[in-house]
Amino acid sequence: MSKIILRLKEQPTVPLEAEVLSPDTFADLSNDEIRSKIVYHGKRQRRVDDFFDVEGERSDDLELHGNLHRVRWIGRGMSRGRITVHGSVGMHLGAYMKGGEIEVHGNASDWIGAEMRRGLIRVHGNGGGQIGAGYRGSLKGMRNGTIIVDGSAGLEVGMRMRRGTIVIGGPAKDFTGLQMKGGTIVLLSGAEIRTGAWMIRGTIISLVPLQILPTFSYACQYTPDFLKVYSRQLQQLGITLPCDPADGAYELYSGDASVPGKGEVLVWNSA
Amino acid sequence: MLRITGGKVYDPANGIDGEVRELCVSDGKFVSAVESGRTIDATGMIVFPGGVDVHTHVAGGAINFARAMTPEDHRRTQAFIRSQTRRSGLGGMAPTTFATGYLYAGMGWTTVNEAAVPVLSARHTHEELGDIPIVDKSTLVLMANNEIVLDLLENGEYERAKNIVAWYIWAAKSYGVKAVNPGGVAAWKWGKDAKQLTSSIEGYSKLTPGDIILQLARICDDLGLPHPMHLHCNNLGAPGNISTTLDTLQHLEGHRAHIAHSQYHAYGGDDWDEMRSETAQLAEYFNTHPNITTDAGAVLFGDTVTITADGPWQHLLYKLTGRKWGNLDIENETGCGIVPYTYRPSNLVNAIQWSVGLELLLLIKNPWQVFLSTDHPNGGCFWRYPEIIQLLMCADFRKECLKKLPDKIKQRITLPEIVREYTLYEIATAMSAGPARALGLHQKGNLGVGCDADVVIYEHDDDVARMFGHPRYVIKGGEVVIEEGEIRATPDGREFIIKPHYDPGTEQFLQPLFEDCYTMAFENYPVEMERLENPDIRDCVPNL
Amino acid sequence: MGGKVTCTLGEVKNRGDFIIYWGGNPAECHPRHFTKYALMPKSKFLPNGRKDRTVVLVDIRPTKSAKAADIFLQVRPGKDFELITILRAMIKDQKISAEAVAETGVTLEQCTDLVARMKKAKFGCVFFGMGLSMTRGKHMNSAALLTLAAEMNAFTKFVAMPMRGHGNVTGADVVMRWQTGYPFGITFNRGYPRYNPGEFSTVDVLVRGDADAAFIIGADPGATMPQPAIDHLARIPTIVLDPHITHTSKLSRVHITTAVAGISAPGTAYRMDEIPLPLKPALKSPYPTDEEVVRRIKESIAKKPFWMPDGAQMIAAQV
Ligand SMILES: [Zn+2]
Repeated sequence: MSKIILRLKEQPTVPLEAEVLSPDTFADLSNDEIRSKIVYHGKRQRRVDDFFDVEGERSDDLELHGNLHRVRWIGRGMSRGRITVHGSVGMHLGAYMKGGEIEVHGNASDWIGAEMRRGLIRVHGNGGGQIGAGYRGSLKGMRNGTIIVDGSAGLEVGMRMRRGTIVIGGPAKDFTGLQMKGGTIVLLSGAEIRTGAWMIRGTIISLVPLQILPTFSYACQYTPDFLKVYSRQLQQLGITLPCDPADGAYELYSGDASVPGKGEVLVWNSA
Repeated sequence: MLRITGGKVYDPANGIDGEVRELCVSDGKFVSAVESGRTIDATGMIVFPGGVDVHTHVAGGAINFARAMTPEDHRRTQAFIRSQTRRSGLGGMAPTTFATGYLYAGMGWTTVNEAAVPVLSARHTHEELGDIPIVDKSTLVLMANNEIVLDLLENGEYERAKNIVAWYIWAAKSYGVKAVNPGGVAAWKWGKDAKQLTSSIEGYSKLTPGDIILQLARICDDLGLPHPMHLHCNNLGAPGNISTTLDTLQHLEGHRAHIAHSQYHAYGGDDWDEMRSETAQLAEYFNTHPNITTDAGAVLFGDTVTITADGPWQHLLYKLTGRKWGNLDIENETGCGIVPYTYRPSNLVNAIQWSVGLELLLLIKNPWQVFLSTDHPNGGCFWRYPEIIQLLMCADFRKECLKKLPDKIKQRITLPEIVREYTLYEIATAMSAGPARALGLHQKGNLGVGCDADVVIYEHDDDVARMFGHPRYVIKGGEVVIEEGEIRATPDGREFIIKPHYDPGTEQFLQPLFEDCYTMAFENYPVEMERLENPDIRDCVPNL
Repeated sequence: MGGKVTCTLGEVKNRGDFIIYWGGNPAECHPRHFTKYALMPKSKFLPNGRKDRTVVLVDIRPTKSAKAADIFLQVRPGKDFELITILRAMIKDQKISAEAVAETGVTLEQCTDLVARMKKAKFGCVFFGMGLSMTRGKHMNSAALLTLAAEMNAFTKFVAMPMRGHGNVTGADVVMRWQTGYPFGITFNRGYPRYNPGEFSTVDVLVRGDADAAFIIGADPGATMPQPAIDHLARIPTIVLDPHITHTSKLSRVHITTAVAGISAPGTAYRMDEIPLPLKPALKSPYPTDEEVVRRIKESIAKKPFWMPDGAQMIAAQV
């Protein structure tokens, strides 16, 4: 199947809400139909081709080009196919996603993969805050799936997440894993403060030392078996977790006692 | 002017049961004939008086607190898009004000009674009611935990208490009296509850919940309020509470009263594991006591948010669910608690509650005594009423639903043995004529000449829930507001209020007591008449 | 998940025997708070007034309010969230090490004593100042206190309340909630309300440059917001309704002078506990009220072609 290629031709002057940029919407549409789909430029309803040159049709493989930092909701709720972005994207990338893959060669903003259920999102640049989080008031963040951000991340990464994996390559800001209920967050370059605050269950792994909240207590040195399995899976995505006892060990902290919760924070301590 | 011709008319207030009749409307009221104007050909259609909700929570501090607590529901629920003539809004568990009007009118309800208003924030409630379009409204003020009233009752000062209740109703620009968990909310302010009708209340030496119930019922009767005391009994939701409820009813012997959401008050068993339906006993009481009316407070499976002045019950529910909890205690008067909740068919307690609501509607024989309600949003959202109508009209459908419940439920409920099916005439009684009469709103729920021209017209549909959920026309005050599923007009509704008589010295007596326990200036407390949009003062007929 | 457990100020006046002020300086910022509601009043339940109440102040420095308190706890700047979270753990008898507690600037003994007193109280109330939600952690700091108060109800009656700033902030919050379901941070760009603080809150919209016009009533963002937000306001057409000349009115394209609410314009104000108070104007103003100006602008806009295309009246489900 050929690709559908969209190139930004006119920079939106205010945020452009474009949840139609999704394989589910475009898969069965002709080129004309794709061009005529509605996007919201502020309060104005405009057509896709007011902002994009559109090549191709009837495909669930989308390629987007341009500086899309004002374009929000790309891949919202998508269940299949692929979106590749050459450029940066705005908020809510892959929110409510149910399957398929998104890859961004650039930065993404807040709420990447918020409340997603399945699928893979990979951002090669920096991410914003609330990655894989639950929207305000929701009881649950992401239910499953994988989010990888090679660069840095903002506040509240994985807030209330239930299952799934988030990997942050660069440093993350405060409240990583806030009220986390399950799943795993891997921090390759650590995080600022209040990591794991109010967590109930789930695992946060950091490869560099972390500031630990007073309501977490040190348990032991520990390299759980599941980590080896996990590390093999992550290896396929190009991420290496140390788990050879010869190289070092993980310090396990458990908390948050304020809940009281049974979350785990594992901090790698190289030998 | 408007004429509705050819429809089968169900008008229980006038004993009309499915006869083809012509209705004529002029100046918002039914008249015997009109010369000109639009004619709606309702041939083959079903014509009802507009629905009347006797017990709902749609405006004021508590529901607004619930809105703040549930953005996750607003985000997923239905959205009304604005137009040049219509405001935007959100439906869901705690709909926004404009949407509340559209949703009620959209299913043919044209009058609603907001059942819990603290006097202290009545100004807020009226501002919200002003933003609920189309439907007419009335309100009830919370009195059974007002400490000034309770102190007077404790000291046996009945006349003073009566004057003060009357003064409060007028200060709030309200329509009647609501009593919630008498004494229990006051006790909750110390983290306690009041479960025994004959035990004295925390903080009082001899006053009991039973005393409050009896005295308030008497006050309502003596003041001649159009609607009797509207009572949310003690011990709501607890297994075994049937004894409290029956006890309460016995206290009320000889008085008028409306028992709110009796579904929550008809349980047997000593604990959650043993809980069972006791609707047969409760229905029997109603069947032999025509002085008492009730609304079902039926439960529907699904997500909702529970909101009640019953603070202690809400704290228990929060502990049971571990979800969010909101609580707001209001100085001297009352409190309220808010907990989002999901009723699940697989949960034995929820399944019993679902059954109990339907059993009461089916076992209480007289539809003039038991009315359709979910205690919105507590047992389910008001916009789901058509689902209840379907359950009442179709015994087969009930059987299908029963199959989805846990097996263990069989010995705990009586619903499987009930074969009764509501007729259209009975539905029209329970959703309109009955509640209108109980509220003392004689111009509502009535298609007779001189009454308010609130009409709902359905196209016959074998799918009962669809038929009642999507009326063909809804007419409010003679104006077509809904037509073929579209909102055509959004006129402002009226607000019914009363001015019961009180002794002129009441204010002088009250002011020092007021200044002792309130934090607002006395002169700022009463709601000014100008704050109400379209007030309509109804008469009281006091017992002298 | 916790929640919000609160009451009206009269309940504090009548019953509050244990008062905590956290991150606020009521003695200077809300001078009548002590005398009217929280410290001095005598009541049926607290016949000896101040003597029947215990007052705790938690702040990063001893302000004037500390003198009025029975207990002063000096928390290290930026450690409020940690201290509140420790208290949440301690009320549930979770062990926290003395060193970990000491990082907050407060000792384990002080915390143990505070927890014991909180549990012994008959009616506890925590007031928290805006200082708390303006420092690092922001809304999570207030959420922490609200949760602590909610959880305390397993032991005794406990409530929490924000000490809102001046102006009718609470009123705006209350009205937005009943009309839209949300308190602030709302967009109407699709013809119905949607909510996302951080995305649609004014300061964030302005800092990112997401707005191409601004209409400001009764607020002075030009004095309080970060510079990038102010720069953007100056860049776009900004209209200000205000009785006075303000920082914002100076950078606006249009400033309409309006009557002062409460002094010469009637209406309703909501107190910090959401109790509505009538505003009864004492003077007549030569200027129109905010309401009148907004009404007239709305009428003029209604004469223009409607910006939304015809379409569905309703969306059955948004997600
Ligand atoms: Zn109710």
